[in-house]
Amino acid sequence: MLELRKDIFADERDDNLNEIGKGTQRQDMLGHVTGTSSYFNDHKLQGMLHLKVVRSTQAHAQLRHIDTTEAERSSGVRRIIRGADVPRNLNTLLSLINFGKDDEPTLAVDKVRYKGEPVVAIVADSEREAFEAIAKVRIDYAPLPVVLDVEDALKAGAPVVNGTYPKNAFIYHDVHDHQKLRFGDADAALATADHVLEQRYQMSPIEHAPTETNGAIAAPDTNGRYVVYTSTQALFFSVDTCAKILDLPSNTFHFIGGTVGGGFGGKVDTLTEPLAILGAMLTGRPVRYVFGREEEMQYGPPRGAERIYIKDGVMRDGRVIARKIRAYFDSGAYTRLSSYAAVKCAAHLPGPYTIPNVYGDVYCVFTNRTPATAMRGFGVTAMDFAIECQMDKLANLVGMDPMEFRILNAYRDGDMKAHRREAKNTALIECVQVAAEKAKWPIREEFKRASSRKDGGGSRAVIPPTPTDSRSRPAAPVQQRTSYDRLPPAVTREPPREPPPTAPSPPPPRPAAPSHGAPRFSSVFGTRRR
Amino acid sequence: MAVTVKTFASTSEAAGALSADRGARYLGGGTLVMRALNEGDVSVSTVIRASDQALTRIDASGPRVTLGAGITFAKILAERDLGFLHAPARSIGGPAVRNMGTVGGNLFAPSPYGDFTVALLALDATVAVQGGFGTRDIAIEEFLQARERQAGTLVLSVSCARPASADAFRYHKVARIKPKGGSVITLAAHLPISGGRIAGARIALGSMAPTQIRARAAERVLEGRSLDAATIAAAASAVTEGTSPFDNALGSAWYRREIAGVHLRRLLSGQE
Repeated sequence: MLELRKDIFADERDDNLNEIGKGTQRQDMLGHVTGTSSYFNDHKLQGMLHLKVVRSTQAHAQLRHIDTTEAERSSGVRRIIRGADVPRNLNTLLSLINFGKDDEPTLAVDKVRYKGEPVVAIVADSEREAFEAIAKVRIDYAPLPVVLDVEDALKAGAPVVNGTYPKNAFIYHDVHDHQKLRFGDADAALATADHVLEQRYQMSPIEHAPTETNGAIAAPDTNGRYVVYTSTQALFFSVDTCAKILDLPSNTFHFIGGTVGGGFGGKVDTLTEPLAILGAMLTGRPVRYVFGREEEMQYGPPRGAERIYIKDGVMRDGRVIARKIRAYFDSGAYTRLSSYAAVKCAAHLPGPYTIPNVYGDVYCVFTNRTPATAMRGFGVTAMDFAIECQMDKLANLVGMDPMEFRILNAYRDGDMKAHRREAKNTALIECVQVAAEKAKWPIREEFKRASSRKDGGGSRAVIPPTPTDSRSRPAAPVQQRTSYDRLPPAVTREPPREPPPTAPSPPPPRPAAPSHGAPRFSSVFGTRRR
Repeated sequence: MAVTVKTFASTSEAAGALSADRGARYLGGGTLVMRALNEGDVSVSTVIRASDQALTRIDASGPRVTLGAGITFAKILAERDLGFLHAPARSIGGPAVRNMGTVGGNLFAPSPYGDFTVALLALDATVAVQGGFGTRDIAIEEFLQARERQAGTLVLSVSCARPASADAFRYHKVARIKPKGGSVITLAAHLPISGGRIAGARIALGSMAPTQIRARAAERVLEGRSLDAATIAAAASAVTEGTSPFDNALGSAWYRREIAGVHLRRLLSGQE
C-alpha cells in the first residue's frame, strides 16, 4: 500500500478528498478474477475471415518482384492485399500531433527495411489456409547493405535505412539531427574537476511479452461503418491512426476495447487494426488479424535499445560539477515513438541531481532492426540505469557513501534544472533517507537532516552562462510560437546568447495543416514555459 | 486444407498411420506440435494420437526402469520410485508444460529444449519404437543421431537401468530464467564407482550440438580414475572436445564453450 509520509510532507495532500488517497476497487477487477472479462479475441463473428501477413525474410532489401499468383489460387483465400491497396500507405504515429514525417508503410512497397516487415496480407477462410497461402507467395529480394549499430548508422557512408531520414537520424524541427541540451560550460568544468570518469552503458531491446498478443477483429456495420474489437491500449489514438491510413473520417469506426491482456507500451502502435479494417472493407466480411507468439516476440515493437556515454567531473568533496552525456536511441527502421523518447531523455538530464554544468546530445537513430516503441518510462529508464551506475562509481571514486553522495548532489525545490524549469516537489533526498532507514543503511546525521525543501534555489536557481556550440545556428527557428507557448516576461534570467540574436527572421511558412486537427503537445515540442 | 486429427486405439495402428503420411505428426502432450500448428507450420497436415494404455505405463519396481512414451513430467515427479529422474523432470518448463509434456516428445524437442533426453543419454537409455515393420529397441545415442529420420516412427517407451547410488547420477541445467527458461547448456553425468574407481562413465550435454551428445573425451579422462580434483579438472578441460555449440538468443557458441567446463567441474565436485 502506498504510504504518504505525513511527517515529511504534512501539507502535500488534503486528506478529505473522496477518491485520491482512498482505496478504490478497479471497475474491471471482478471480471478479471472470475475469468469473465471479454477480450477482443473472445468475439467469434459469423463468416469471420482470418488475415495473416507475409513478412520480409531480409533485414534490408529492394523488392524486385512479388508473385502472388499461386497464393491467390490457394484454397480458402479471399483476398490478397498489397501496399497499393492501402489508401495512405505511409504514416508515422506521432503525425497525429504533427510531430515527425510519415515514414512507415503499412505494407512494404519498394523496399523492406527490417526483417519481419509486412509485405503482403492474405485474407482467408481459416488461419491455416492463410498460412498455406503465405507459403506460396514468392518474393524476389535484392539484398542491400545492412546497418544494425546506432553509431555505425550515423557514420558517413552508412547504408540509408529510411529514405525519409537520409542521415539515419530523426530530424527535430526540420534541422536538428539530435536533441541538444546545454547548461553552463561542461568542458571548462571538466578541466577543473578533481576526477573525471567516462563510461559507456548499453541496454538491449526489451519485449513487453503480453499474455494477449496484438490483434484486432474488424466487422462491417450498418451505414458503412466498421466495428473494431481491438487489443489496443490507446483506443482513440488507434481510431485516428486508422482514419488516417484508410483515409476515412474517424467516425467511420466504432472501436471497442479497453480490456487489454497486457500492454505496457507494446499496444500503442496500431499494427493490426488498419489491415483488419481494410480486409473487412475489401471482403465485406468480419476479419481477424492476431499476432502469433513468435510474431509478437520477433516483430512486435520492443522497448528500443540505447547506448549511452557519460563523462562526469567530480570534486574530492563529492560535488558533481559537470556531466556530459551522449545517448543513442535505436529506433529500428521507422520512427514510431523513439523520437519522443529522445525528447523526454534530454529533458531528464542530468537525472534528479543539481549539476551546474550539463551537456547532452541525444540521437534517435534508424537501423535495420525491428522498430521500437513505448514501454514504461521509455526515454528515461535506460538513462536512469546508466546515471545511477555512474553515481555509484563516482561515490566510490571519491570515497563517499553512495546514499550520502546522492543526498549531497540531489536536486532541491527551487533549483534550476538543466532544461530551464524550476524543480518542484523534488523529494529525492527524502526518498534516499527513507530507503536508507528501511534498509538499515547508516547515514550520517547531517545527511539525515538534509531536506529537499531547504537550501534549494538562490544561486542554484541561476542559469549559468552557457556558450553556444561553435557550429552555426540554423537560420530560422522552425517552431512557430503561438499564444499558447509565449514566453512569459518572468523568465529572463538566462544571459543572452553569443552572438545575440539578430533581427527576427521572417516567420517560416506554417506547416501544412494536418488533416486530423493535430494538437500540439508541449511535452514533445518543448516550447511551453511556465 | 484443414488439419486432420486421427486417434487410434492401438500403437500399431498409430504407427502405421504415422509412417504412411509424410505430413503426419504424432501428438503426445502437444507442447511442441500444437505450438507448431499455432505458429503456422503447414508441414503438419495430419495429427496422430493413440489412446493405448501401454503408452502411459511406468515400471519402476525393478533395477531397470521403463517409462511409457506418454508419461508426463508431472507424473514422473509424482512417482517416488523415480527420484533419480526428478531433477531433470523438474527442470522442464513450468507446471503447465510439465503437466502435458511427455518423455517421448522430449526425445524430439529441438534445442534449447530436450533436457530430459540429456539425462536419458547419460543413463544409456534404450528407446522402444514401432515402425512400419514392428517394434524394436534402439540405443538412445543411435536414436538421436538419426533423429531427423525418426519422424515416421512411433516411440513406445524408454528404459534405463536405475543408478547404483544417488551419487552416481548427477544433472544440472543452466538457464537464464529459473526455473523454466530454455537451456543455455544442460549436463548429466552417470559415474558408477567400483572399488573407488569410475567404471562406465557417461557424460551427456544438451545445447552443445544440434542434438544431445556425449562428451566422450571427458568420459575417457574419468574412466578408471577416482573422482579427485585433478581428474575433475582434466575432465572439465576436455568437455568441449567434439562439441559444436551454436549461437542463439540465450547464449553464443563461444559462451557455451567457455562455461561447459566450469559447470562440469561444479557438477562433479558436488557444487551444483
